[in-house]
Order: sequence, then structure tokens, then C-alpha cells
Amino acid sequence: MADERKDNPGASFSELVTQWERNFDAFANQVMGTEAYSQAMNEMQKTQLGYQRAFSEMMAQQLAAMNIPSREDFVQLMDMLRQMDRRLEKIEEKVLLNDKPASKRKRPARTKQPQVNKDEGKSEGKSEGEKK
Amino acid sequence: MSESTNPLDPEMLESVQAFVQQSVERGRRGLEIANAPPHPVGLTPKEVLYTRGTLRLYHYEAQTDEVYRVPVLLVMATTNKAFIFDLAPGQSMVEYMVQQGFDVYVLDWEAPTYAERGLTLADYTQDFIPTCVRKVQEDSGVEDVSIIGYCMGGVLSLIYAATHADGPLKNLVCLTTPVDNSKMGLTQVWNDPRYFDVDYLVDTLGILPAESVTQMFEMQRPAQRLAGQLRLWDQMLDDDFVDNYRAFNRWGEETLPLAGEYLRETTKELSWGNKLYTGELVVDGKEARLSSIEVPLLSVVAEHDHLAPRETTLPLLELVGSEDKEEILLKGGHVSLIAGPNAVKRMWPRLNDWLAVRSV
Repeated sequence: MADERKDNPGASFSELVTQWERNFDAFANQVMGTEAYSQAMNEMQKTQLGYQRAFSEMMAQQLAAMNIPSREDFVQLMDMLRQMDRRLEKIEEKVLLNDKPASKRKRPARTKQPQVNKDEGKSEGKSEGEKK
Repeated sequence: MSESTNPLDPEMLESVQAFVQQSVERGRRGLEIANAPPHPVGLTPKEVLYTRGTLRLYHYEAQTDEVYRVPVLLVMATTNKAFIFDLAPGQSMVEYMVQQGFDVYVLDWEAPTYAERGLTLADYTQDFIPTCVRKVQEDSGVEDVSIIGYCMGGVLSLIYAATHADGPLKNLVCLTTPVDNSKMGLTQVWNDPRYFDVDYLVDTLGILPAESVTQMFEMQRPAQRLAGQLRLWDQMLDDDFVDNYRAFNRWGEETLPLAGEYLRETTKELSWGNKLYTGELVVDGKEARLSSIEVPLLSVVAEHDHLAPRETTLPLLELVGSEDKEEILLKGGHVSLIAGPNAVKRMWPRLNDWLAVRSV
């Protein structure tokens, strides 16, 4: 091991990084796994969301005042388009159901049999063709 | 002063020179990587069979003269791209399965749009998966379909299987699939209902941004990113290492946002209520009891999985009603179980052994 390290200084660097990562993660997980951390983290997140929500509402009011469509308006439009798309797709499926062209792709036969390795009771997935 | 500390010592000069040269070369490679286009992934030949909103269904081209009768549908977790199944030639689970003679389909996800913020467990398990199963049946011409679900994709597959007990499912494979959410460790602490206001979060954002999803994963191993970058610097001249790093890094960076309603429902029903485990989960009016699942089931779990710890996956075999069931515990972590150089040796051959004999 010592020789290996002497020949390859990178190996000891890699070990050092792994050790540091392990120790840091263990320490961080100890701190972050507490109820106090969870409470603080979630409170901070809620405060950020509160600011974000207030800003979004203010922006929506400004856009409405200027008669400009808001994100919500666009989303509603997208929802309507999506519903239309879905309905068209259903119609298309029904129309094509009786008029389905045969696939041009060459399909392999679904005849493959697993080869059981008797020594270990495991399959090796050989096809009949391959066995021959 | 000893001889070895003489600044003119030729051996020392040589090693300093080598160190400087390597550092310059590492820096050059680092710049190359930083300016390079995204690492190519998902290279196994495939066609897009079906798309709808966030959903993508791929079918992979056969690479053998014969395939097993039963097609296989891989179901990805909604937070990540499915190219982790097809990371790189020689390190692709899909490529391996195709070469073993399986007819492989993959259910992948794109980032849900704001208009898709209302997607629920019912959409994923009673619409998207059944639709894809039907598409696979139509495309393959075979009634039976096997499903392999990864992580939350495994949870969705379990709910689908539990609510479609009479359905066409032939075999179910769950890869690192958490069932008992009370044992989720850190995420369970952070999701404490006394402090985590999921309603406020979802009502404000609509969609949980990808950055928040990534942060949630990374916070469980806070040193991982920096340690990875240090390892990359150290191994910068090893092309295989760099390629692997870039492929995995791309997967991590392309984490997907999460539909708000889905987050609300999974938090309340699965995380707080632990209803998949208790058998009380109801999706779209249907009871999703794991005991209803009677098809052959394989659970593959990783020894060092920090995202779906062993304790969360352990009860699966006890809960399902299947007679033919098996758990395989392998070395590795949540991701290295299914992708990368170790998966090639450890998991894929075991999966092949189990699934092949049940796919005829």
C-alpha cells in the first residue's frame, strides 16, 4: 500500500478527498438532521416564498392595469390548447384504429429462449439460433 | 541543511517540472471541458413512439435476430431524465438489455410546463403508464408487458400494478424503490409537517423548480459536488474518468422540475401519510394495496443508497402478494446501481438472469 502511494501520489490524494467527503457529509448530516435545522430551513423558505408571492401579485396588478396579459392568462391559453390537442389526439387514434398501416420496420421473431446454466441455475439469454 | 532540500537537487527539479507540466495539462483539459458541448448520451438507436405533454415513450431497435416474447417497459422517476438508462456505449443498461435480446421501451419525462402543474399521481399511474403499456402492446403485438421502475418510477409502477391487478403486467422489477417513507432519513426530517408548508410552496410556485429538486438531492451529500470536482482535477488526464464524470454530471444537471400537485400529493399521501406502506393509498378512487400485486416481483436495492435507504425498500417483499418474489442487495449507491462501470458487472447480469426466464 505504501509502495503504491509512493508510485502514485494521486492515490493518496484520492483517499484524502474520499475521507474528507465522508467526514464532512457525516458532520453535515448530523447538523441538518435535527428538528431545529428543519424548522429554520422551512421558515427561511417560507419567507422567500412570501416575498416571491407578493412580487408576483404586484406584477399581475401592474400588467392588468396596462392591459397586458399576465403569465396566468398565457397558462390558461396553453391549457385550452393542450385540451384541444388531447381531444384531437383521441379522434386521431379512433380514425387510425381501423386504418393502421403495417409497420415497415423489420421485427425480430419473439422466439428467444433463455439458456439455463445448470451449474448456477442462471440464464445466459442465448437464442435458439445461437445455441446451434 | 540536508541534500534533499537543496533547490538544485536534480530529482526534486524533475518532480517539480513534472508537477508543473501536469498542472498545465490539467488546466488545458479543464478549459476544453468547460467549453465543450454537452457530453453525448442516449446513443443506443431508438425511435420516439409516443409523446404527450411531459411524457415521452421510446422504443429501442433490436440488435439480435430473436427477442424474448415479452417486451419490457422501463419507467423513469419524474425528477430525472431517462438517459441514465442509456448513459454511454458499453455503459448503457438499455444497450445491454437490447443485446441480451429484450425488446425495450422507455418511458421518459420532459420538464412539465407551468400548464402541467396540476399533474397528480392519478395522471402518472392511471393515465401515462397505462397509455404507454397500451402503446407497447400495440407496437409489439404482445399482450404481456414487463415493467422496470427506477426509484420514484418504481413507486409509480407499484401503484400502477396495485391498481391494475387484472392488467397485462407480466413481471415487475423495482430498482431502489422506497416503500416505507417513515425511514427516509433526512428528507423525512426536512418534510416535517409541523414546519414544511407544502400547500404554501405549491400554491406560490405551481412547479417546483429543477434547482430546488437538485438542491434537495445534493443537501443529503453536501460535500459530493466539491469532492467530485477535486477528483476530476486529479483524474483530468484519464479520458475514461472524464467521460464518465461528464455523463453523470450532465444527468445531474438536467434534473427536472416537479409538478406542484404531484409534489403536494406525494408529500401528504406518501411522505406524511406513508399510505403506500400502510395500504391506505387511494388513487383516482382505486385502492392501491401492494398486497394486490401478484405478478413475479424483483426488488433490487443498493447497500449504500442514501436517497432510498435500505430500510425504506426492505418491506416491499413482505407487502406484495406475489408468490414469486426476490430481493437482490448489491454494493453501490442509488445511481451507481443502475449506471456506470460497476453496474455492468453487478446489477445488469443479475437483472438479465431473473427477467430472461420470465420473459418467454
